[in-house]
Formats: sequence, structure tokens, C-alpha cells
Amino acid sequence: MSALLNNLNPSIKAIAVVIAVCLLTFVFDPFTPLIYGIVVILFTFLFGKVNWKLYIGYYLIICLLSIGMLWTSIAFADEPTNPEVTTQFLFWELPKENVTVALSLTLRMLTFAALSFMFIFTTNMVHFILSLMQQCKLPPKLAYGILAGYRFLPLMREELQQIRAAHQVRGVRRASGIKESIQQYKRYAIPLLAGAIRKAERTAVAMESKGFSGEKARIFYRQFRVTFIDWLFLSSMIMLLIIIVAISIKLGYFSWYKGQF
Amino acid sequence: MIQVRELTLWFNEHEHPTINKLSFDLRSGETMLLLGPSGSGKSTLTCCLNGIYPRELDGEIAGDIHIFGTSIQDTKPGEMSKHVGVVFQDPESQFCMLTVEDEIAFGLENIGTPRDKIATKIDGVLQMVGLTAYKEANIHSLSGGQKQKLALACILALEPDFVILDEPTANLDPLAKQAFIQTMKHIQEDKKIGLIVIEHQLDGWVSFIERAFILSKAGHGVFDGSLTEAITKHADLFQLEGIALPSITELALQACDNNQAAFSKIPFTYEDFTTHMSYLDQTFLETTAKKSCALEPIIEVHNVKLSKKKQKILRDITFSWAGPSFIAVTGANGSGKTSLTRLLAGIEFPSAGNIYVNNRSINQWKQKELRQQIGYVFQNPEHQFITDRVFDEIAYTLRLRAYPEATVQEKVHQTLASCQLQGMENRHPYTLSQGQKRRLSVATMIVDEQNILFLDEPTFGQDAASTRELMHLLAARYKNGTTIIMVTHDMDLVDKYANRVVVLKNGEIVADETPTQLWERPHLSKWNLDYPTRIKLKRHMEGSHVCITK
Repeated sequence: MSALLNNLNPSIKAIAVVIAVCLLTFVFDPFTPLIYGIVVILFTFLFGKVNWKLYIGYYLIICLLSIGMLWTSIAFADEPTNPEVTTQFLFWELPKENVTVALSLTLRMLTFAALSFMFIFTTNMVHFILSLMQQCKLPPKLAYGILAGYRFLPLMREELQQIRAAHQVRGVRRASGIKESIQQYKRYAIPLLAGAIRKAERTAVAMESKGFSGEKARIFYRQFRVTFIDWLFLSSMIMLLIIIVAISIKLGYFSWYKGQF
Repeated sequence: MIQVRELTLWFNEHEHPTINKLSFDLRSGETMLLLGPSGSGKSTLTCCLNGIYPRELDGEIAGDIHIFGTSIQDTKPGEMSKHVGVVFQDPESQFCMLTVEDEIAFGLENIGTPRDKIATKIDGVLQMVGLTAYKEANIHSLSGGQKQKLALACILALEPDFVILDEPTANLDPLAKQAFIQTMKHIQEDKKIGLIVIEHQLDGWVSFIERAFILSKAGHGVFDGSLTEAITKHADLFQLEGIALPSITELALQACDNNQAAFSKIPFTYEDFTTHMSYLDQTFLETTAKKSCALEPIIEVHNVKLSKKKQKILRDITFSWAGPSFIAVTGANGSGKTSLTRLLAGIEFPSAGNIYVNNRSINQWKQKELRQQIGYVFQNPEHQFITDRVFDEIAYTLRLRAYPEATVQEKVHQTLASCQLQGMENRHPYTLSQGQKRRLSVATMIVDEQNILFLDEPTFGQDAASTRELMHLLAARYKNGTTIIMVTHDMDLVDKYANRVVVLKNGEIVADETPTQLWERPHLSKWNLDYPTRIKLKRHMEGSHVCITK
């Protein structure tokens, strides 16, 4: 395993994923996304340093979801135009058209997941945002705001736990029923928001006293450049898709998306 | 230099100005203590000095501040940071990056430091504050003291002419606090930076800062001059405005009032003490051991363990406390003090072991009954408020118990009086001052006459007057038979009030004894603790010429 994927420019990696996702939406047959998905997972395996336990865990969740989706899109499919053309699917004899639509949707979802996981599991969030500022001209005000917010999330969760415990000590009963739950969250919301606003204000003041002005022209300590490897990656991701499309045309599986569902 | 001229500042919703006709000069390299009670406008002044106000101000400003000739009225965002840097009180909310290195780089990027110089500068400031080993560490993993040193490093990297420290050590344990002050002292002496220190506790700072500027509650500058002069000539001012004296000064003055001491110059530090003190009656430094009348076992703990996310927070804790007692729980930041008290109060549950409250396992108590036995005051009082009026806040528990309204009225008024909150009945809890909020949160926890009261760092962020009032209130409760269990870092409070002290280190109890026994131990610093002023002074006197008998 190498860390090639981890060292790629995060913005280019994101762009590659977005382009691949967009192109895939034009394809309708189940074969192309299936092969492309497998290739992407292999790619992640071979060229990325990834926390595999977590990867597999999340992927299994996606798989469960997609089985549910497969089932519902078969069960609640539109009336088929050619109901007599059927196919054997597991134990059932079903209209071929419906099965194709369902399989294509499901595999497409799994491939999208594989693509986004390839990005998420090999990218440092901070580096991604820094790179967005440098390559994609994301305004620093927004970018550093997101970074500060990213730091806040665990703090907010801690604070909510604190408030919950504090109210419990006051003798507030645990809510039963939807109405009470809503009321309870309303009560939590005030101290939570008051705390969050105060913290945000403090952080903003602290950032400004470190000289932050939100100016677009700035120097970056961690510079992200776009190199030959990045372009190679981007083009190979697209080339791969084109090759797979070509193969599936050759084998006769390919079809465009023409508003089938 | 900094020139403040007739500065007056109003916030929009406020009737009175927060800062009122303030004028002073601070030359480059000069140091100054900015003193005043909570709400006297110290932090507001900080915001003016580093150019946040008037730009971000919801209100009006009159008068002016010039920093090296530039008025704060015409500065662009971020520009003042080159001249004035600030370290704030809360270590959690002053960072926006994830790692130490990135955070320091952030400031340097902002002021346009050339890229090839950033790395050298980062290494330089990290060495200055002693954090070199943590360059690549995640900020989240640092201790409170390290976070404050990092905040200082970020500011120093920008090489400002002035640094303002806004209660930088309020959250720190005694050892971390001393370490921070020492670091600052060395840097100041080395770099000759102008320094403004805002603090409630002056110990340590007075060893190298002599000038004091005192703000009154109404935001007036009431004194500007040497601290010695302030204390000798205007001692009433400190009392009136609720400003704490350095603990050693306070002790010396008290002894003097009792005719048990004499000095040529008022002492601020231990060194001063040896030089200027001509005589001190040693009996003054002996306290009568606080007798404990604890009889009934109130909390018993057997082999309690607590782990979170594979991290051991408490390891195998066993003890038995009798009541009524005044118990202090102390130890380094992150040693498990808060976690322990939360388990004892039934807010969280242990991973293993048993806890008995009033001879009954905590699992057998119904939540409702347990709350009648135990009160718990959280670190942030606002977290505990649930109603919109001070009166309802205190009455809440009583109404839950369905007391007749007449009894509720009577009890609430009694509690308001004992917590010095009379006249506040109709205020919204959020609009109270820090000290009042704290007393209100205590009030809500004693109104039902709970016989065990936990407090998590109740004196944190409070000025001298609020601390005094709060401690009086707690001492009175203790006299009436309530067991008080207080998490604190303040060794003087432990010495003065507690009759039992529990020290935690890495989730284990390393000492559980009377304060007198604890002070007899050598090397409290291995637990990040310090001795109280009284004991330190006694030790210091043993090696000095100060006459100790009459």
C-alpha cells in the first residue's frame, strides 16, 4: 500500500470525484457502475493509506441501505412497458425492466459511495480547506470560519451533555412523549445557544487579534500545489470510466440514461 | 506607546457607560496591572486597545486611544495586532486550527510573514514558552496550562509591542499558573514587551509588576500609580471595589490590624517579606485546627472505577466520608476531580464499584429522592437555569415538590436573603452579574435543604467580593449541618475552610486527610499543588531573621 492518494492535492482529488460522479449519472446500465465501483475500491486499496476497519464498517452500512433501496425500487416500480419480458432474480420471476432499473440505481449508489469514501478516507479536512483557498479561491473568511466551526462541534456536544446533567439535577423530569421532548430541547437550546454565541464571538475576537482580516491575498505556510501526478490522477479516473464504458458497449450492456425512472 | 484619552464607552442597551472618562499612558516596555471588580470594563478596554472596538461596537465611543500615534478610530481589521496582542481567559475558544504548528502559522500568515521565515519563527516562540516538544501535537490534547502558553506563543510570534493578558491563569491549577507567570516574567525581562495584566489573583504577578491601574464598578479610573501606594493609602478602595490583594499582603495587613506584625514597607512577595517585615507573631500563622463534628457516614465508595472511550478516568477508588464535613477535592487539571464528584452526586454512573449515599446504594435511590439529599452546583451557572425569573428559579424545586404557595414564598425569600439576592426577584437569571449568577445557582441547590452540596470550582472567574460572599454562605451552610464538597484549586480556601482534603492524581486518590496533615507533606508540586500562603510564609520565616515572638 502506498500513500499516493493521501498525498494528492485535495482540491484536484475532489474535482476528480465530482466529475466521475457527474459522468456516471449519464450511464444507465448496471454493468458500468459495477465495474467502475470495483476499480475505485481497488484503487483506494492499492494507492491509499486508509483506516480499513472504519472504511469497511461504513461501507457495510451503505450496503445495507442499498439492499433496502434495491428492494423498494423493485417492489414499488412503475408499471413495466413490456411485462412479458421477465428475468430470474434470486427466487422470483420479475419483469426484466424493473430489475434493471433497480440494479442500476443501487449499483450507482454503491459506486458513488466508493468514490466519496476514496476522498474522505484519504483526505485531511484541514488540508482540504487550505487547498480550497489556494486552488479554488475559497474566501478565507469562510474557510477559517469552517475550520473554527469544525473545532467547535465536539465542544458543543460536551456542553449539551453538561446542560442535560445540570437540568436533571434541578429535578427536571425526563421527557416522555413528543411534545415534552420538544419542550425539553427548547429549554436546552437557550443555554446552548447563549454559550455557542459567546464562544463564537470570543473565537472571532481572538482571530482578529492574531491579525486576521479576511483579506484574500494571503501567505500560506502549508502550500498546496498542483503537480503532474494530480493531473495524471484526474485524467486516469476519467480514462478508466471511458474504457469501462467502451468495454460495456462492446459486450452490449451499455445504455444511456434516458429518464427511465 | 499607548495613549488613552478621556475614553468613554456605552453599550446600546446599557443605561450607564461601561467605561467612563478613562485616561492613561503606557510607554513601550512598561508593565501594568489592570485591576477592578467584575463588570468594571476591563475586557471592554482590552477590545478597544486591540482595535476590535469601535469597529465592532454596538454602542458609542467618545475620547480616543492612540497607539504609536495612530487612532483606534481609523485602523483596519487586524492592523492593531502588530502592536497589541491579547491572551484571553478561556483556553478553549481562542484557537481556530487543529495543531500547535498551524495555529502559530495562522497569525504569521495573517500579518504577511514571508513563507520561508515562518518555520524559524514558530520554532523560536515554541522554545520561548517551552512547548517545542508539542509542535505537531493536536491542540485538543494539550492541558489547560499548555493551551494558555500556546496562546501566548501565537501572540509573541507576531512580535507585538504590547501584550495584554486577560485573566490568563483563571482556569489553571496552581503549578500551571506559576509556570505561566514565570514564563511571562522571563519573556518580559528578555524582550522588554509592554505588558497589561488583568487578574483577580495578583500572586506571582506582583513580583515584577509595580504599576497598578484601578477601575471602579462604574468604569472610572480611580487610581493610577504604584501598587504600594494604592495599598497603603487606598486600602479601602480594594475592599470597596472587591479587588483581591496579593495573598501575602492580605495576611500581613490582617496581622498588622491585630497588632501581631510590623513592617517598614508593605510586602507583596516572600522576598519583600523577609526584607521589610520587622516582626510577626508566629501564633498568627497557626490556625486552630478545625474540629470536625462529623459523625454519620454520609458517602461511602467501594472500588469505584470509571472509564470512557478506553481511557481510565478513575481507578479503583475507595473511601468513606462522614458528615457534616467541609471537604475540598483538589488535584491537577484533568486528574478526575469533576468526574468523581459527578459519580458521587449520581449524575453519572461508575463502570464498576459501589457508591452508598446515607447508607443506601446510589442505585436504590430514586432520582427524585436523591435530589432532595444532594445538590450539585455546576461550573457554569447558566447551564442550570431553567426559568425566566430569579424568583421562579429558586421556587422551581419547591413547586415540583408541591409545597403550598405560602411556604414557597417564605422559603424563597429566606434563601434570597441568605444568598444576598434580595431585590433581584424579577430579573432574568442571565442578566445577573457573574457573582450573582453563582449565588443564584447555589440558592437553587440549597432551597430544598439538601444535606449534601457539591460545588465544581465555585470561585472560578469571581472577583474578591463575590468569592468572599460565596464562601461566607457556604461556611454558614456547613455550620447548619450541610456537608459541603467543593472542587477547587485555591489552597488558601482549602486552608481556611475545609476540614478534610482529598487529592487526586491520574484518577487515583493520593491523599485523603486534614489540610494540616496535607501541608506537612513535602513536595506537593508532584501533584501540581502548592501550599497555602500561611504555610509558605511560615516556612519562609524559619530561614529568615524576622522576629517571631513578641
